[in-house]
Amino acid sequence: MTLMLNRRTFLQAGFTTATIGATGLPLEALPAEAKGWNWERGVCRFCGTGCGIRVASKEGRVVAVKGDLQNPVNRGLLCAKGYACAQILYGQDRLKRPLLRKKNGQFDKQGDFEEVSWQEAFDVMKDQWSRAHKALGPTGVAVMGSGQYTIQEGYAAVKLVKAGWRSNNLDPNARHCMASAVAAFMQTFGIDEPSGCFDDIELTDTVVTWGANMAEMHPMLWARVIDERLRRPGYRIFNLTTYANATSEGADVEIIFKPNTDLAIWNYLAREVVKRGAVDKDYVAKHCVFAAGPTDIGFGLREDSIKAYAAEKDTQARQKTVVLTKEEAIARGLDPATRHERTQSASGSPQRHWLISFEEFQKGLEPYSLDFVAALAKGDPDESLEAFKAKLVQLADQYADPARKQVSFWTMGFNQHTRGTWVNEQAYMLHLLTGKQARPGAGAFSLTGQPSACGTAREVGTFAHRLPADMNVDDAAHRQHSEEIWNLPHNTLNPKIGSHIVQMMRDLEDGKVRWLWVQVTNPFQSSANANHWIEAARKMDNFIVVSDVYPTLSSKVADLILPSAMIYEKWGGYGNAERRTQLWRQVVLPPGEARSDVWQMMEFSKRFTLSEVWGEQPVPGLEAEGYEKGKLPSVLSTATALGYKPDSTLYDVLFATPAAKKFAWPDPVADRKPNSTVVHAGINWFPEKALFEEYRRFGLGHGHDLAPFDVYFKRDVSGLRWPVVDGKETLWRFNDQYDPYAKKGSGIDFYGKALKKLPSGTLEGPKPGDPVALPGKAKIFFRPWQEPPESPDATYDLWLCTGRVLEHWHSGSMTRRVPQLHAAVPEALLFVHAKDAEKRGLKAGDLAWIESRRGKIQARVTLEGRTKMPRGMVYVPWFDEGVFINKVTLDATCPISKETDFKKCAVRITKVV
Amino acid sequence: MSRHLLPLLFCAAPLLIAGPPAKPVPDRDLGLSRTSVFEVPAPPLFKDEASGPGEKAPPKRINKEYPPVIPHSLADCVPITQSTNLCLDCHGVPGPKKKGEATPVPASHYVDLRHAPDKKGAKVVGSRYVCLSCHVPRTDAPPAVGTTYRP
Repeated sequence: MTLMLNRRTFLQAGFTTATIGATGLPLEALPAEAKGWNWERGVCRFCGTGCGIRVASKEGRVVAVKGDLQNPVNRGLLCAKGYACAQILYGQDRLKRPLLRKKNGQFDKQGDFEEVSWQEAFDVMKDQWSRAHKALGPTGVAVMGSGQYTIQEGYAAVKLVKAGWRSNNLDPNARHCMASAVAAFMQTFGIDEPSGCFDDIELTDTVVTWGANMAEMHPMLWARVIDERLRRPGYRIFNLTTYANATSEGADVEIIFKPNTDLAIWNYLAREVVKRGAVDKDYVAKHCVFAAGPTDIGFGLREDSIKAYAAEKDTQARQKTVVLTKEEAIARGLDPATRHERTQSASGSPQRHWLISFEEFQKGLEPYSLDFVAALAKGDPDESLEAFKAKLVQLADQYADPARKQVSFWTMGFNQHTRGTWVNEQAYMLHLLTGKQARPGAGAFSLTGQPSACGTAREVGTFAHRLPADMNVDDAAHRQHSEEIWNLPHNTLNPKIGSHIVQMMRDLEDGKVRWLWVQVTNPFQSSANANHWIEAARKMDNFIVVSDVYPTLSSKVADLILPSAMIYEKWGGYGNAERRTQLWRQVVLPPGEARSDVWQMMEFSKRFTLSEVWGEQPVPGLEAEGYEKGKLPSVLSTATALGYKPDSTLYDVLFATPAAKKFAWPDPVADRKPNSTVVHAGINWFPEKALFEEYRRFGLGHGHDLAPFDVYFKRDVSGLRWPVVDGKETLWRFNDQYDPYAKKGSGIDFYGKALKKLPSGTLEGPKPGDPVALPGKAKIFFRPWQEPPESPDATYDLWLCTGRVLEHWHSGSMTRRVPQLHAAVPEALLFVHAKDAEKRGLKAGDLAWIESRRGKIQARVTLEGRTKMPRGMVYVPWFDEGVFINKVTLDATCPISKETDFKKCAVRITKVV
Repeated sequence: MSRHLLPLLFCAAPLLIAGPPAKPVPDRDLGLSRTSVFEVPAPPLFKDEASGPGEKAPPKRINKEYPPVIPHSLADCVPITQSTNLCLDCHGVPGPKKKGEATPVPASHYVDLRHAPDKKGAKVVGSRYVCLSCHVPRTDAPPAVGTTYRP
């Protein structure tokens, strides 16, 4: 070590000192190839990067994986998790048989888990479904889905829940992940998902990461960023974050801001761009309009819950009324010396917005001067104000320079935010103002966390308000179009938006949901303010089913656990963060009695006849044109006219349709690979292909076009970025040189259709008058900075932020079973600044209580490592069920997107004695 | 670590042998935490690898594709910044491995698969520059649960 430390001084050129190695191995002929391993193409199981993988199998088992050289996403490389994609299949405690809580041979909520047959599992599951449905109607049952669903699984879930059960209570864990991104895309562009693609990394001049610790969360994208930085001296990396993280280590400039003040920084940047005359006037005039919305929109907190803990009532009260801080008054152009109380009057309609003039927009920005924003936003008490200011100016210099291109990336720091939709929109604000959107190397780019948050949760539409291809359940035309494709009677679909995943937990506590099926996710560990929900799950009259591959915290609170097939044990497809759809073949068989989720849904659907689900149904609060208030009509007679019988099952109607059965199994595309869904279902058709091809019909012809199923398995195809038109993928949407949907000659055409007819007004509100149509335009929103729902005070004196670490995926159910990943990061630690620790008598390795208004847990203190906290803030990763940090976090959400803010709440830390 | 770890080891033992058990299982025995969801466990104390480079033999490779685990302490090797990569100072040497020297970075790390896939360059490529993206450190934590994975 001494040698290394001494050499550090003359290692300024560190990277370039490395000389050529000599253990030469030809890349495509690794020795492993000689051992009779059979290589098949796959996709990584983990994040939204969507790295291409080659999967090696031998004698029915996956033996290794490697990065796919051909795949442009990762060009042969994987991260520490990606390389473990073989090992994740083989934890000793894989679930292999259904487990049901029983006493004396019967289901009993207080019983222990006993192995049962699939037959018995589904019998009990169906009885319990009918009990809940009988008592409460379609809103009494719910399914929590996933951004890790395959495309086919998500599509099957939408059909079963929305078409079959006529319930919109289907919502994915992706609600916690990128719902804010979705809401901002819809409000800004009228259509979901990024305009750019990962090629932007190599084409841009400056990468700005905002609330995105890319080095740990998207390591293979970070590899591309660092690669580019090292090859191009003029390339710059700015990292905006609330604490120093691994991304800071590779960045040129690190800006540590106080939680929630990112909105103020954006407004400072926009103000600078305007003041410096750096607005791209031609771009703005041709392609943009200005917009604003209501400001007093609350924080998505519960109101008047009888189950609220005494300590959490003061935070919850802010859902109704807020007294503005001095800074908030200044930001709103009000007298800071006066008391301003604000009723959160727009909490019921936070998504409303209207057009404003450029002058009004400028008026909104005016308070956000450098002095005001720097004093407000400086996040490290040990940094000087002047140093912080200088960095903000440097950042403004980048964005305001018309000769430099920027890509702004963000992930959970923006999305998991009580103003998540707004802060997403602010990124577009700046990129649109400067004309740096939808152009190669320039754009605001929302990254997703999960492998198919885009491909499944968003594109398939597994949200409580969605149907496939950006359509919504509360739009009559969208319902009708879906009913036509699905061959359903008119008015089968429920027009009332269902419960989002946070609301489902609250419904469980309120007894409004009594039957819940959890698929491909671990919500009881991942939901904030978890003490409420585990109590509701275990102590109230409800039935909870968890389908998973390993026992998780959610399966501990379940009543029935179903063993699932995972990743290369089934056919599937994911869609990554750059709109790239990638499909894979099944490689090996699932263990024991584990079954694919598609099989589980198809098999369960056989237990429902139309007469049970398609008669008249109560839906409290339903109000829609063509529907009787509070009711879904019976559609049984129309069903008969369509050729269905009252005793037709949902399996017949939704899955084993004549069209689906035409996709025969075996299929040449399988290339002799197995299909366990087919075998277990005892059928001679190909459900995963049938589901994909039917789903594809939704997107064709309006900007969401996917290629036919078989195309994705061609040797020279490594996924395709939609829209795929005439066999060609689209790299930059809305740009007429790349996107066939953009009008030729327009240059840029923001052709998204949603929310494109708006009234006009001022920052205060809309004025009477006819709404204006906005074809081809994107909206530049003014969004103000505001205080969060909860900030540190005398009792709870520290900010708490939660998140992931490189080695573990989400709740750790897969990666913690990989020995080397577990050994690398065996538990979640409490990251504290040394001075904050010292003040509380804590040193490294000590056990500390972390306590909020909502709960307390213990964790061990660390003062160093890859995450370095500023004074006043602590960080705890959430992967570890033994350090159950979501018992502490706050279940506030962005009122528009309903996505939880996991990045800030107030806690206190004390030494465990 | 030992005092805190012992209960965990005892709890994990039956599962390592048995897999999903046929006897009724209370929920507290499922999963990795081995507690009721209502309890607040005290997490065990694990220690980061403290040995210096070369003091301990590298652990057995997981498979030929998996990047080797870092066998030594990281304390004096991080952070990796744009200008400083102390990992490469020792490991960026010509192979084959010589006795008493660090494991050399293999030839694959000198090929730029994105920009020049057919050429071996003179330095470790930028996309492989952040060693910790793929090579993980280690602590003294034993596996949380066994594995049936065989390369």
